[in-house]
Formats: sequence, structure tokens, C-alpha cells
Amino acid sequence: MLKRYLVALALLPSLLIAQDDLLSELEGDAGQETDYAFATWKGTKVVNLQTNELPGAGVLQYTILHRFGSFSEDFMYNFLGLNNAQVRLTLDYSPTEWLNLGLGHTGFQKTYDGFVKYRLLRQSKGAINMPVSVTGFSSAYYSALRYDEQDFERNLGRRMSYVHELIIARKFNQNFSAQVVPTVIHTNLSQTFEDANTQIAIGLAARYKITAMHAITVEWVPILNGNSYIDPEAADGFSPYNNALSIGMDIETGGHVFQLFITNARGVAEPYAFTQTPGSWLEGDLHFGFNISRVFTMTH
Amino acid sequence: MRKISLLALMLSLGLALNAQKLKTRSGYVKFFSDAAVEDISAENKQVSSIINLENGEFAFLAPIKAFEFEKALMQEHFNENYMESGKFPKAIFKGKIKGYEQIDLSKDGSYTLVFTGVMTIHGVEQKIEQKVMMTVKDGKASAEAEFMLKCSDYEVEIPSAKADNISNELKITVKFDYA
Repeated sequence: MLKRYLVALALLPSLLIAQDDLLSELEGDAGQETDYAFATWKGTKVVNLQTNELPGAGVLQYTILHRFGSFSEDFMYNFLGLNNAQVRLTLDYSPTEWLNLGLGHTGFQKTYDGFVKYRLLRQSKGAINMPVSVTGFSSAYYSALRYDEQDFERNLGRRMSYVHELIIARKFNQNFSAQVVPTVIHTNLSQTFEDANTQIAIGLAARYKITAMHAITVEWVPILNGNSYIDPEAADGFSPYNNALSIGMDIETGGHVFQLFITNARGVAEPYAFTQTPGSWLEGDLHFGFNISRVFTMTH
Repeated sequence: MRKISLLALMLSLGLALNAQKLKTRSGYVKFFSDAAVEDISAENKQVSSIINLENGEFAFLAPIKAFEFEKALMQEHFNENYMESGKFPKAIFKGKIKGYEQIDLSKDGSYTLVFTGVMTIHGVEQKIEQKVMMTVKDGKASAEAEFMLKCSDYEVEIPSAKADNISNELKITVKFDYA
């Protein structure tokens, strides 16, 4: 009797495993791997804010950014604002998966810039659990604008401004992503003595995918210590700048991402968009704009 | 004492029976799309597969994110827009090998066997019957197959604007070297 038990007992391990599903055996073998979030955003920018995304290693990216004339400013006469386009062009390259280097030119203030963007953390689950992706972005801008009346010397230092963004993003699910972007904007030469040279903003942005290729985006960049601009209509001659708010749509077509949006920020480069936006949504100072990106894979 | 040794014998026998399984964790799957404008291919070298030699059961599991493309953006679009790998992280085949009794690891040889079962890709199940070339060399088995697969069968939608870039019919090449 005991022997029979023993036989049954001895065969038990083989029976147990044999009855187990082959697939679960494969999955058990696989162990726990780290599953990284990807495609949190379709592009490297939301509208004016950077996203946590970088182009892949060995990818050259070219972007064309336009902001057209205001709806409130002789809109039809200016061919829906298209006659008054502000333009920015950028070219960037990712030597590795975590680093992106780029150059840009913006028509406004004849601004040249260089930027660097780098991954710090990647959202993941599994073996490594990380709730957010974190990417850093730093950019330096040089304004080459000529001044007819030189009341003081416009040396290199006085022509420089800087923007630093820390992009903390989370892809909540296949369709919804959001990010918080603590931002520092520093301008060496402020417009008035009262103006702060260093301004802090907390950018907020979200996207919702409506189809595989289309997403709705919204972006708001409230400045904590905003400056004012000269406004002859205001009682004391100054009005505070407004915070940049943009609502748009991303359309992806293979190697291109088209971003079409409405924004109150006319300046295309970051320092102008974030800190020098006189336009107000409530007063209809809105601009149609687009960002178009094209990527080229340079390495094989 | 005799009982204990018997027990030990039985236990080792039980484990030995278990060993009649062929496995790999580094199986290879490639797909190739031949469309008017461009050819696209991707390779996956992290496919796991198992054959139970006792009853002819067979399974493989391909992690979708492990498909590697020439272009990073293609890989992103493949995962995000087409395969939705966040929702459906694996392609799975589970079935039986007809004539599995022929597989004899003790002598070299090759034979074509029919694998039948269910393929699950993008959360959609399809019945599959496929001829596979099995080869045994130096006591090790390998399986190779080549077949066509339709994206539409698995509800992987290719927008009409992309029809010239991505073919609905993909050529799949599979090679598993079992340990």
C-alpha cells in the first residue's frame, strides 16, 4: 500500500508539470523583464513646450514652425493671418538614444540658438518600476537684431537668453499622456529695470489620441513671476504679459508629424513664446500655427 | 532503506520524463513586407518556443516589442499604431505537431511535419495549418518554416494612405534551434 503511494508521489512532479500549459512554462522561463513606455508623444514638441521624446539614435530631424497673424488683427485682409507669418527652423541630431543636439533660427529678433536634450529617466514597469519619464532640455539664444539708435552697447552677453526645461512625463495609457515641465527662462537684458531677468514657469501639457494617427493636444505655460509690456491703452502705460495657452492636433504620416494648433503665443522660440505673449485668448488674440517635423535615418 | 532508494529512483524517473521537452529562448522570426514604394522587414531574436516530445504539443511566444527595424520610428509606429503592443504585447502560437513521433533525437535527419493550432496576434485568434521542416543534427532539433500572413486577418489595419508603403501580406520566416 505504502509503495503505491510512493509511486504516485514520485510521479507527481512530472504530472504536475506535464499538465501545466506549455505557454505558461514559456512565460515562466522568460522571467521578469523591464517594459519601457514609448511614444508618450508623437513628436519632440507639444506646441511650444518640448516633450520627453527624443528622435531615435542616428536620426536627423528637421522642423519647420510657423505662427500666423492674429485673428483680431485684420484677419481677412491679411489672408487669414498668413501674410504675417513668424517662422522658426530647426535641425537636430541624436548621436545616441539618450542625447539630442540641435540648432535653430527664428525670424523674430533674428534669433540663432543651440540646444541639447537628454533623457534622464524612462517610465517603465516590470523588473524596473518607474512612474515617469524625465528629460532635460537646455537652450541658448543669440539675437542678431540690428539697432539703429544705440543707447548702449549690445554686446554678446546682452543679446543672450536661456531656457531650461525639465520634462516630467507619464503615458497613462495607449491614448492619454501628460507632462509637467518646470521651466527657467533667463534673459540677460530685460526690457525694463523692473522686469525680472529670471522667470519661472510650470508648463502643463496633455494629449489624447483619437485615432492611431491623430491626437488632440493642449498646453499651458503659466509664468510665476511675469513681466509687463508697454501698452499705451493701459492706465499706467503697462500691461502684464499673458501665459501661453495652445490647443492643437497632431497628425502623423510616417516620417512626418504635422502639428496644427491655435495659440495666443506669437513668438516661435521658447523665450518669446513663454515670457513675451501680449495676446489674450479672451480678447481673441489668437494665432493659427503649425510645427512640421521630418526625420531622416542616417545610420544603418 | 530499500523504500527510500525506490523513492529516489522514482523521483529521478519522474524528472527524466519531464526532460522530454525541446526548448529555445532565442528563436528567430522575421517578417518582410513588399509594397510598391518600399520594402520593410523586421527581425525578432527573442522568440521562445517549446515542443513536448511526448504528446507533440508545440507553442511559441514572440514579444512584439522585440521586433527590430532598420528605422527607430518604424519600430515605434509598428508598436504604437499597428500592433498596439501596449495592449497586446505578445504573438502566440499554440498547437500540435502531426507525426511528432518521427522526431528522433538519436539520429540525424530531416522531415516535413504539419503543425496545426491557433495563432494569436493583436488579440485576434486564427487557426493555422503549416508545414514545418524539422531537422535533427548531432542530437539537436531545429524547426524552419516560411509562410504568408495577412494583416487584415488579425485586424491590423493599414490605412489606405499607407497601402503603397506597407503590404497587407507579410512573408514570415521562422527558425527555432532547440537546446
